Amino acid sequence: MNRDRRQLVLMLAPYLAGLALLVLLPATATMTMAFTHTDLIATSEFIGLDNFAELARDPAVHAAVGNSLSYLAYSVPLRLVLAVGLALLLHRRTRGAGTARAAVLLPGAVPELAYGLMWLWLLNPLQGPVNQLLLLGGENGRTMFGTLPPQWLTDPEDARAGIVLMSLFTIGETFVIVLTARLALPPEAYEIAELEGARAGQVLRRVTLPLLAPVLAVLVLRDTVASLQASFIPALVVTNGGPPPYATTYLSLVIYQEAFEYLRYGYAAAVAALTLILTVMAVLIQWRLLRRWAYHGLAGMGTHRLWG
Amino acid sequence: MTAGLILRGVHLTRGTIPALRGIDLTVARGELLVVLGPSGAGKSSLLRAVAGLDRITAGTVAIGGRDVTALRPGQRNVSMVFQSYSLLPHLTVADNIAFGHRIRGADRRAAADRAAAAAASVGCADLLARRPHQLSGGERQRVALARALVREPDVFLLDEPLAHLDAALRTSMRTEIRAVHDRLGTTTVHVTHDQSEAMALGDRIAVLRDGRIEQLGTPDEVWHRPRTRYVASFVGAPGMNLLPADGPLRPPGTAAGAELGVRPEHVTVIAAGSTTDGAIGEVERVEVLGEDALVHLRLGAHAVVARVPARTRPAPGDRVTVHVADEHLHAFDAITGERIPLPAEAATR
Amino acid sequence: MTPPGRAPAPHRRRRAYGAAAVTVIFLSPLLLLLTGSLREPGQPPVIAPPLIPDSVGTAAYDQAIHEGDLVRAAANSMIVAAVGVPLSLLVASLAGFALTQLPRRVTATVIALSMLAMTVPATALLLPRFVLFRTLHLTDTLVPLIAPALIATSPLYPVIYYLAFRAIPADSYDLCRLADLTPMQTWRRMALPQVRPVTAGLAALTFVLTWSNVLDPMVYLYDRAVFTLPLALRALAAMDPHNQPVFLAAAVLTTLPALLVIGVAQHRFLHAYGPEGAP
Repeated sequence: MNRDRRQLVLMLAPYLAGLALLVLLPATATMTMAFTHTDLIATSEFIGLDNFAELARDPAVHAAVGNSLSYLAYSVPLRLVLAVGLALLLHRRTRGAGTARAAVLLPGAVPELAYGLMWLWLLNPLQGPVNQLLLLGGENGRTMFGTLPPQWLTDPEDARAGIVLMSLFTIGETFVIVLTARLALPPEAYEIAELEGARAGQVLRRVTLPLLAPVLAVLVLRDTVASLQASFIPALVVTNGGPPPYATTYLSLVIYQEAFEYLRYGYAAAVAALTLILTVMAVLIQWRLLRRWAYHGLAGMGTHRLWG
Repeated sequence: MTAGLILRGVHLTRGTIPALRGIDLTVARGELLVVLGPSGAGKSSLLRAVAGLDRITAGTVAIGGRDVTALRPGQRNVSMVFQSYSLLPHLTVADNIAFGHRIRGADRRAAADRAAAAAASVGCADLLARRPHQLSGGERQRVALARALVREPDVFLLDEPLAHLDAALRTSMRTEIRAVHDRLGTTTVHVTHDQSEAMALGDRIAVLRDGRIEQLGTPDEVWHRPRTRYVASFVGAPGMNLLPADGPLRPPGTAAGAELGVRPEHVTVIAAGSTTDGAIGEVERVEVLGEDALVHLRLGAHAVVARVPARTRPAPGDRVTVHVADEHLHAFDAITGERIPLPAEAATR
Repeated sequence: MTPPGRAPAPHRRRRAYGAAAVTVIFLSPLLLLLTGSLREPGQPPVIAPPLIPDSVGTAAYDQAIHEGDLVRAAANSMIVAAVGVPLSLLVASLAGFALTQLPRRVTATVIALSMLAMTVPATALLLPRFVLFRTLHLTDTLVPLIAPALIATSPLYPVIYYLAFRAIPADSYDLCRLADLTPMQTWRRMALPQVRPVTAGLAALTFVLTWSNVLDPMVYLYDRAVFTLPLALRALAAMDPHNQPVFLAAAVLTTLPALLVIGVAQHRFLHAYGPEGAP
């Protein structure tokens, strides 16, 4: 090995060591632990698939799988549509565009726990500003639409909607990526469309979205992975998994509670394994659906690289 | 006196594609050699093989009598000017010029003095405090040259340094490159695809084709005695007319199966009927290039281009007599493309 | 006729209204957080308190800082950020640079591993990491909170550096080889200075992730003396969940540094615009 190669390996070494020590080994250990009974007090014993059998009967896990998937189904598309819409609205020089961009970024920078506490206050059914706003213009404790105000913290449906609502304000990173991608699109594509007399809707459908497709596809995949793992702190802080029994119990919350509240590490590991399997499945399914679309979007522009 | 640069049997493969296929080349100390060829001929690969940036698969490279085949680029003491100039955007011109020098441990003051001297030698001393994005194309070119000079290299490598300049600047910069070379006398390999640049600049020209040297010779040799049909058609603008030996021009003593070549400059066009000596053709098109004009002629089934003074040019549709002096004819083997000596040529030997 | 390249006036006006609406909607949660924190603490809960409190005051802040021991927690958070963020950027940029120079096969493998690492649920890694740090007697220290710097805080960041370094023209790398620079010298003298905007952006993101980290502290820290700011905030909220102004005040204090850093780092990005006239 020559001088340069040795130095390059040394440069990569800290990261590889971190990856092995803090991710790959722990992940392997968790997968192994899923087949054991482990509580860190007694020695762990191998119990085969017992954890998984229990998991299949556990109402908390059932609820968590359903909640996590429904969160995925609402949150991912809504977040993406919102981010794309905002990026297209704010990519040009308009009065206040810079301020608006900053405003979109800021909620995502709020530390998770502070963010959770903030929403605990905002969504308070009686004192919270959200319901106060909804009650403006309504009468007799009804909203302006004549309905009863949502009971964010006590009604299962409303609580789940609240968690999705919270996720819609943290799209800063997605917004930045879409905006950057939009700014990088070749102006010639738009000049051609203009020469052809395309209307705004046609330009969006035939130029902008196809050109952005590869970026959007990657964002969907990334957001899917993130949303199966996130939704943890809000559920813990704002609703604590409730309202009872498991209205906002998500898979990540189950893992945390089983491991660090009930100290059932083996069982928590089995739930983690289930989460990982669900994540991989969701990514694979989406990848199959998105690949063709992203590829067609890519065709004809050639210069756009993702991880090339 | 040892040679400045010797390549022996150099092969180089890029991915799976052979880029150099057996290069043997000796450049004398202080010579300016121009490597000429179309894109994909292996010109850049040749430079990178000398510099050590790409590892050669066979052969040896020696610089100033020192075998450098096994050495890494930084140990070969070569300087290179890249097509894109490759100025580092975060450094001033002075720091760009002194970049390598500083890294090698020269102190700031000495490096700055050397940089200023190098900048002065290529006429960019007034740019030292600027940053690359504040420079024009020609100025960047000068800075890149200065950076290459400051090292006092054993071999100076220029990879199409004029390709990104506009036509007028290209002509003046090539004069300057030659002047700098004559002043410093550093062994230089200059790569270009522009045959007029090659003719104007080189002590000798190596014409490259598909990773092999097709001809190595002075500009005069390459122009007057192209060793192959390929060289004949690549050098010159437009290139040499090529006709079958049994075509309209038939000098005495050519074998069948040969091809005849004649440069447009050597085709004489006379109004038809004024002489009987020569072939009859018809003018199809005339392009006027200021002082000269290119006359596109049709001689039976063959197309021929002639370069004539614009003032005496024929008009499209004219019937003309086309004449070529025997000493201006070249003959090439129709299959191998190799030059065949003609009787007229053989007689002058 | 509108001048070429400019949207007609009504379009521009509509966009300006849109931008204003976006600003209001996205800033309102933060403003409400602020007004909520400025109310008088310890009052009995009332139905529908006014959005703008009658008696504006910072009493809640005094109480939060005092009861939550927020000064010590802030110091702990700053130690973690001051060590963790530079270390994380160092690891990410060194690895990203090495990936541009190592054989393609090595690079592909490391990038695939990084992607895989991103799909593993964070909670799934907590248990074995907890065991690891407990075995090393490092729980109740700040070390486990700095440790993620070794994986560059997010395995995405070395990949981002890799892409940034790869975007530097190949000539510049050749230039460094001709000048006989070692990879470390090339990284420091040539490559790193050219990706300063990337470094600034990643520094801000790394800081926010490190500063906000609450999962790790929740698992590794039990001693109040080593609590970081988010953890102290959690303790404060758990102590008196109905005294909203106090925990909202602590939330504001926890949030401010992160907002400042993002605001400064993204300043340049916020003012890049596309050509006018296209949606």
